[in-house]
Amino acid sequence: MIAARNLHKAFGSVVAADSVSFSAPDGAVTGLLGPNGAGKTTSLRMIYGLLKPAGGQVEIDGLDIAANPLAAQSRIGVLPDISGLYARLTAREHIRYFGELHGLSRAEIDRRTAEWIGILDLSGIIDRRVAGFSHGERTKVAIARALIHNPQNILLDEPTNGLDVMSTRAVREIIRHLRSQGRCVVFSSHVMQEVSALCDRIVVMGHGRVVAEGTAEELLAQTGMASLEDAFVSLVGPQGEAE
Amino acid sequence: MNKVFVVARKEWVDGFRDRRALYTLFFSTLFGPLIVGFMFSQFARQNKAAQEIQVPVVGREHAPILMNWLIQQSGVEIIPGPEDPEAAVRDRKSDFVLIVDKEFAAKFRESRPAPVQVVSDSTSQSTRSKVQRLNSLLNAFSAETGGLRLVSRGVSPQIVSALKVEQLEVATAQQRAAMIFNFIPMFLVIALFTAGMPIASDSTAGERERGSLEPLLLNPIPRSLLVAGKWLAAGGAALLGMLLTMSIMLTVLSRLALEELGVRNNIGTPQVLLLLAAVAPLGLLSPAVQMFVACFARSFKESQSYLGLLMIAPTLPGILAIFYPMTNRPWLHPIPVLGQYAMVTEILGGKFPGPASFIGALVVAVILTAVLLSLATRLFSSEKIIFGR
Repeated sequence: MIAARNLHKAFGSVVAADSVSFSAPDGAVTGLLGPNGAGKTTSLRMIYGLLKPAGGQVEIDGLDIAANPLAAQSRIGVLPDISGLYARLTAREHIRYFGELHGLSRAEIDRRTAEWIGILDLSGIIDRRVAGFSHGERTKVAIARALIHNPQNILLDEPTNGLDVMSTRAVREIIRHLRSQGRCVVFSSHVMQEVSALCDRIVVMGHGRVVAEGTAEELLAQTGMASLEDAFVSLVGPQGEAE
Repeated sequence: MNKVFVVARKEWVDGFRDRRALYTLFFSTLFGPLIVGFMFSQFARQNKAAQEIQVPVVGREHAPILMNWLIQQSGVEIIPGPEDPEAAVRDRKSDFVLIVDKEFAAKFRESRPAPVQVVSDSTSQSTRSKVQRLNSLLNAFSAETGGLRLVSRGVSPQIVSALKVEQLEVATAQQRAAMIFNFIPMFLVIALFTAGMPIASDSTAGERERGSLEPLLLNPIPRSLLVAGKWLAAGGAALLGMLLTMSIMLTVLSRLALEELGVRNNIGTPQVLLLLAAVAPLGLLSPAVQMFVACFARSFKESQSYLGLLMIAPTLPGILAIFYPMTNRPWLHPIPVLGQYAMVTEILGGKFPGPASFIGALVVAVILTAVLLSLATRLFSSEKIIFGR
């Protein structure tokens, strides 16, 4: 369960997030939809505690992330916008490193790594150094590494960006799998079809603000449009058309 | 606290899989000992060369008595001189040439100064000691013969010596060799800096460049422990590099025939331990400085150019220390880098800095390291550093 309240952030004179408020319940997938530069990444970064909001509050399962950063961070798993890997470490070593940083025992890490090898089909690459990995393989390693501690809340910043069809399908499968386990999943995207196919709830962002929030049907009703794409354009304005 | 070691181990494994970093470590540790070994062997060769000289003589038939005397001196060999002595010396074909004048025999018989010429080139460093030896041999022959002539006339040869000059060399054999020993502290300090550098920059600027800093900071570990782990890995590599350099250096020194140079190699276990104690504080500090500086770089390459510039800080005083040894100035000891040079020079010279020097150096290094690490921790929390790529 994630709650963002009145988040505000400016970089110089550019307001990146202006009173961003939304909540993401457990057992559901919440999509942050908006064109590039709408404030999705900035909002996510404030939620996972690496950007300090100029105003507002973030609660992870009721924990204020500014007051209890470490406790809150152990309850979230994040796939950031750019999730760099260490070229000289193997896939397994990446997963183990983050597991150890979360304070998991070696046996626990081994057990969960074996699980992720099954879910993400990593068996062929698990003990190879990531140096020659494809983009899809890198994303899989980054996901396993980010979720090794079984977090209740999962934040994914444009997880399917640049992935081929098979890898995109795999990521969508994981998102559905996590929802079925009752987790709270938030992911951002600028791809309409992806959001409408996956999300239980949609938060539409534009110009650093939340312009609408609800299920796909609610958004259609609110805008009086027949398709989600038309609804999106009418909500975000001309900036959205450029996408 | 365990997480510090988790971070350190990861950086260590990652760092030691980097071939380029390993080559750097390998060559930088070999570099110093090889140079010191080369300098000592050159020194030894010159010393030996000055003792054994071949004297090219033009007109040896004019002065059989001088030739016989020279041959009887140890290590002297007479060889035929070149056609054109001056050209031969100028072109460095001969180190020097002794020319015996045609009138030598006649003047010698008449007890008048018999002319000889020594052709030499004073700009040639390597031949200077040989020319000196020849000159002192000629002077000795002159004094000996002159003395005999006085005796034959019933005069004591002592009469012509108004002065009795004795050369008392105050520089002990150790101090002469210390000139070369003075290079050793610089190479130990350079080894510390170069060996710690790859991990110090890869774990800071490298994380920023790869975009791996953001996911790393999402783990529930305080930034200070993260920085401490990275520092521990870089410091471990720095100390390893320094230990390698020191052990190779000691091996090289023990293989050299230092005694032939009149130098006693008095580096035993206690000296090695003192050397470690003197240099180790800098091993804490140098990776902290390097990490702090590298945090400002957006890429590994950028950080390498900053850290390359930073290398001037230890090397410049190191070069100065070769020519102006910083001994007998205990107030230098707590100052990082300068203190290391001063203490190592003293230990190699057979003196021992007091315990206060070691404690002072350690305390200063620990305080500066703590300050730099807390500044680096701040940088790791800075939004500009985390996201500014």
